[in-house]
Amino acid sequence: MVKLVFLGKFRGLAREDFETPLPAEVHTLSDLQAWIGRRDPALGSAMAGTRTQLVVNQAVVRDLGLPVNDTDEIAFLPPMSGG
Amino acid sequence: MQVRLATARFDPQQETAAFAAGHADMGALVSFVGLCRETNDGRDVVELFIDHYAGFTEQEITRIAADVAGRFDCPDLLVVHRVGSIAPGEAIVLVAALSEHRGNAFEVVRVLMDYLKTDAPLWKKESGPDGARWIEPRAEDRARRAQAEEERI
Repeated sequence: MVKLVFLGKFRGLAREDFETPLPAEVHTLSDLQAWIGRRDPALGSAMAGTRTQLVVNQAVVRDLGLPVNDTDEIAFLPPMSGG
Repeated sequence: MQVRLATARFDPQQETAAFAAGHADMGALVSFVGLCRETNDGRDVVELFIDHYAGFTEQEITRIAADVAGRFDCPDLLVVHRVGSIAPGEAIVLVAALSEHRGNAFEVVRVLMDYLKTDAPLWKKESGPDGARWIEPRAEDRARRAQAEEERI
């Protein structure tokens, strides 16, 4: 199962984090983001319309061509606003 | 170095005093407290909600704080950041630095705040009579962060 985590305004759109068996058509992080966009167009366009950062197993990942493994926790982060 | 996320209201004076206690070798204590304002961009704010990514947020703030402390040779640093629901007037963030002399203590607090604004994995949502909106870093925040990065050299 892949665990998907949505932060900030993405959490507001996705409503909840969820676990899913890895869809057959998803091989890379880029495929995964596209799959989420097909499943939830509002969330997909919000992620495409801003600088979205991916964090895989609590480590920042910049190469969306990397493969997704069936036990990964993958988080989608919009631009941060701390302080 | 201490980094803590607070889920409830905290007292910055008390936190700062506890942090400084027993450090008779340090001649400077500089602290900054960010407060929740009752208006922002001309809108009334009733509640500020700060979302975070448990584990990752603490890890990243610790990494950023250690980097800045190292740059300015600052012996000890405290960061307390609220998450969850915050009311106007309450403290959002406390950054305190202890050092032998004041120069690097001032610098470390200023520069760390500049990084936290844009790089700490936290997401603010303001709610008021006009509804709710997620906040993104302002151009000024990004410019200050870029300036802090430039000063690295």
